[in-house]
Amino acid sequence: MNDRPELFRGNRILLGCIYWAFVLYVFVPLILMVLMGFKDSRFIGFPIRSWTLDWYVGVFANTEVLSTFGYSIAIAVLSTLISVFVGTWIAVLLESRKFTGRPVIFGLTVLPALVPGIISAIAFRIYARWLGIEPGMGAIIWSHAVHNVPFVVLVVMARLSTLPKSQMEAARDLGADPLVAFVRITLPYLVPAILGASIFCLLLSFDDFVRSFFLGGYEPTLPVLIFAMLRSGMSPEINAIATVALIMTAGIGIWAERFTRRMKKDT
Amino acid sequence: MTKLIFNRRRFLGTAAVSGAALASPAYLRRGFAQSGGEVNIWTYNDFVPDAFRRQFEADTGIKVNIRLVDDQGKQFNLLAAEQPNPTVDIMTVAGHRFLQFINSELLAPLDTDRLSNWGSINPTFSESDWATIDGNKWGAPILSGAEVLAYNSEIVSEEEALTWDTLFSDKYSGQTAYIIQDMMSIIMLKMGYDGNMVAYMDDPDEAARIVNEAKQFLIDHKPLVRKYYDSGAEFQQMMVNQDIVLGHAWNGPAAALINDGFPVGMTIPREGSYGFVYTFNVANNAPNADNAYTFLDALLASPEIGAAMTKASGFISTYKGADQYLNELERKSTSFPEEQLANLQFFRAEANEMKYGLVDPAVEEIKAA
Amino acid sequence: MTDSATAKQDRPALGSAGDAPTFWGRLVGWGPYRLLMQLATASPRRQFLILMIFPVLWVLTQHLGPMLYMIRVSLTDAYPVAPGVEQSFTLEHYAKFFTNSIFWQPFFRTLTFAATFTFCTLIITYPVAYFLARHVSRRNQMRFLLLLLIPFWVGEIVRTYAIMILLGNTGAVNLALQTLGLVDRPIPFMYTSFSMGMGIVYLTALYMLLPLYSALEKLPQSMNEAAADLGAGAWTRFRRISLPLTIEGISSGCTLVFLISTGFYATPVLLGGPSTTVFAETIAGFFHVAGDEWPTGAAFATIMFMAALVITFAFQKLMNALRKGEAK
Repeated sequence: MNDRPELFRGNRILLGCIYWAFVLYVFVPLILMVLMGFKDSRFIGFPIRSWTLDWYVGVFANTEVLSTFGYSIAIAVLSTLISVFVGTWIAVLLESRKFTGRPVIFGLTVLPALVPGIISAIAFRIYARWLGIEPGMGAIIWSHAVHNVPFVVLVVMARLSTLPKSQMEAARDLGADPLVAFVRITLPYLVPAILGASIFCLLLSFDDFVRSFFLGGYEPTLPVLIFAMLRSGMSPEINAIATVALIMTAGIGIWAERFTRRMKKDT
Repeated sequence: MTKLIFNRRRFLGTAAVSGAALASPAYLRRGFAQSGGEVNIWTYNDFVPDAFRRQFEADTGIKVNIRLVDDQGKQFNLLAAEQPNPTVDIMTVAGHRFLQFINSELLAPLDTDRLSNWGSINPTFSESDWATIDGNKWGAPILSGAEVLAYNSEIVSEEEALTWDTLFSDKYSGQTAYIIQDMMSIIMLKMGYDGNMVAYMDDPDEAARIVNEAKQFLIDHKPLVRKYYDSGAEFQQMMVNQDIVLGHAWNGPAAALINDGFPVGMTIPREGSYGFVYTFNVANNAPNADNAYTFLDALLASPEIGAAMTKASGFISTYKGADQYLNELERKSTSFPEEQLANLQFFRAEANEMKYGLVDPAVEEIKAA
Repeated sequence: MTDSATAKQDRPALGSAGDAPTFWGRLVGWGPYRLLMQLATASPRRQFLILMIFPVLWVLTQHLGPMLYMIRVSLTDAYPVAPGVEQSFTLEHYAKFFTNSIFWQPFFRTLTFAATFTFCTLIITYPVAYFLARHVSRRNQMRFLLLLLIPFWVGEIVRTYAIMILLGNTGAVNLALQTLGLVDRPIPFMYTSFSMGMGIVYLTALYMLLPLYSALEKLPQSMNEAAADLGAGAWTRFRRISLPLTIEGISSGCTLVFLISTGFYATPVLLGGPSTTVFAETIAGFFHVAGDEWPTGAAFATIMFMAALVITFAFQKLMNALRKGEAK
């Protein structure tokens, strides 16, 4: 990549150190979390006097924890699909040209991101009742989707603003109508932004507690479950659940990446 | 009822009980269930013993759907948002929070005649002054807690822990923690006033003066405190990490530490303290009210069930004779010497509107000071 | 994922003549589709209206609806309404904020914290993103980036407790320091602005990292080399080339992080000390403690998000001005 590495070597080493220090910073708490899942006690923390596998075994023995995990993943994926679709559309509108009311639309778009969690949860709950949406999976997906749209819009707009105008014009000159031009030119250009935004949305949804709690029914999402379990103490069991969830999420992520890569090769 | 097995390994006792109580799978959800065959409960983790739940489901054919909650405020908000068509039959309200729920018409009065086992509750709890409001009973007491002074017994002596003053001494500066709302009531009591403020219901000026005095005390001692905390889990973690060596706590979280072998002791200091009672309540317009009564009656049937709830939560059982099903350590961690118990009184709700109208802003001021 | 970056180069030809007709080529040639498109794109105006109608409906019903409801609640005297009681409207809940100075402190503290933590996050993640985008081979970039994303899949609460285990008096850091003989007594890291900052930067780093990375990744390497040829030092190259060209990413990253930071509740509550109360905590208090204070909570929330909106707007204007200034 660098034609003349000697020129940038000093920077590179320095930046490399910063990068790995950052890796350390984000991973140390993670390692502690995994480690504490092996502690033979009802509470996490040092010193660890004896070790046990019971907590991890318990997670796999407990089908309800696993079904909660699946439930959370399903909610995250479905709400992300909606957010990405709506968010991209809004971003395209906002970047298409200047028009009267554009700042108003932009303001309304970022609104859900600005409201503190508890307020938005209660507002959603009351609004859901007004709309006749029953609490449960659909309601959670709806609230996550609405809440995450602003993040998609911000990320996609940033990328869209750098799209060379000439490409669109060239497409038009070749006779492409706006829809085809969008699908063939704009969308591929937006792929990195859309992927990034999807990661945001998946994370926000997967980690959301308040909205899931207020709009959920008798089946908890993972964070709702963890919050309730926390009532009787931060036990290694929660660490074990979180670790297993992390490993499974990573597994699904890697599989999805492989899968999409293979799909691309095939076509 | 079949003999319930409680003497399993600790792992099974905590992980499996909470594990199975935590998630009601999709097939149990409202709407999918058989006609009339379910009861919906909002409660805390570890409050409904799993063994009891399975036995009850087998005996009656009523499915028990449990939705775990983590505080009173959320239950209130959720129920307020759901009324007049709630999804819940039974919820878990602390006795001194009754009024707020009753005033918003969220609870139905409890018809104790429909509970043949009502008599198995210790009258200290079932017939207490806070339990009757507007001539009605509103909930079945299941577990009781107390505001205690908990301490690391390797560092703090029991002698020192017998007074709230130690919590504000220079010796343990930066090593203490408390729940600020609860501490306001205790400080008022410590100063010789009625922390429930019932005595000042006709004298708002006096009430304001007292709250102000308690507030000033906590502001003056703010440099000594490490943390104003909210949840029992936070308190436990601070004790485990030795970020604090003593603090005000509810007895449940402290008892859980003791039962796990941590060097923790707890007292009801001589200046006095407050107790509270968790009750199971039937929601107003409950969709399955009949099943709710069946469930409550079954739950109250045996002191062994009460003991199981105590083991899991660390709170004190309200059942007569529950302690005979506890082992030595469990009994120790959920009981207090007679002379300390004499210092305990219950929170009362009558003056809550005035009290929290004064205390809530005071808490904000302490935090902002 | 990795080939997306190179997608620019290998763009396929657009239904060009000569090739076997692609799906898109066939679609464009298909009668009904043509008719539909002609109707839709008859004039730029109509085309724009069609583009506009769905977003406008969405933001009005989905974004504004819940908020309007909240504002309505903030103007009522009591909520939830007790049966049989007449509801009336009032401004007293807003007045409560402006007449009680005790609420101002957490309010301004939240804004200051959010701004400070946003800045810290930017300073910390910029070099990381820069390293990723400029000094790691394309093939490895995604791997390095994904490596950083792993910890963010752990929920906020579990991660926050992990930080307690890290920084507590008997935590990993103190344990290490004592083993090394660097300190005799544990250092009380917990329940300070430091522990809180540590937790919040942990939560926000990702939201800064991704926009920065995607901005830096587009930066042509040749410009840096040309500048180096002209004798520009590392700092000058950074200031004159990288920084101006990534202002887009900085702006969107900072906006995201700032917005998210103002709403944080659990982390500041769990990791902060007695004097770090944030406004979200104040607001939540009105919903937790007393049920009849929903209107006050709603009013305070309205004030908070208005303030955040104004600041974000001003920030975006500033960034736009900077961009224009640099373009000259």
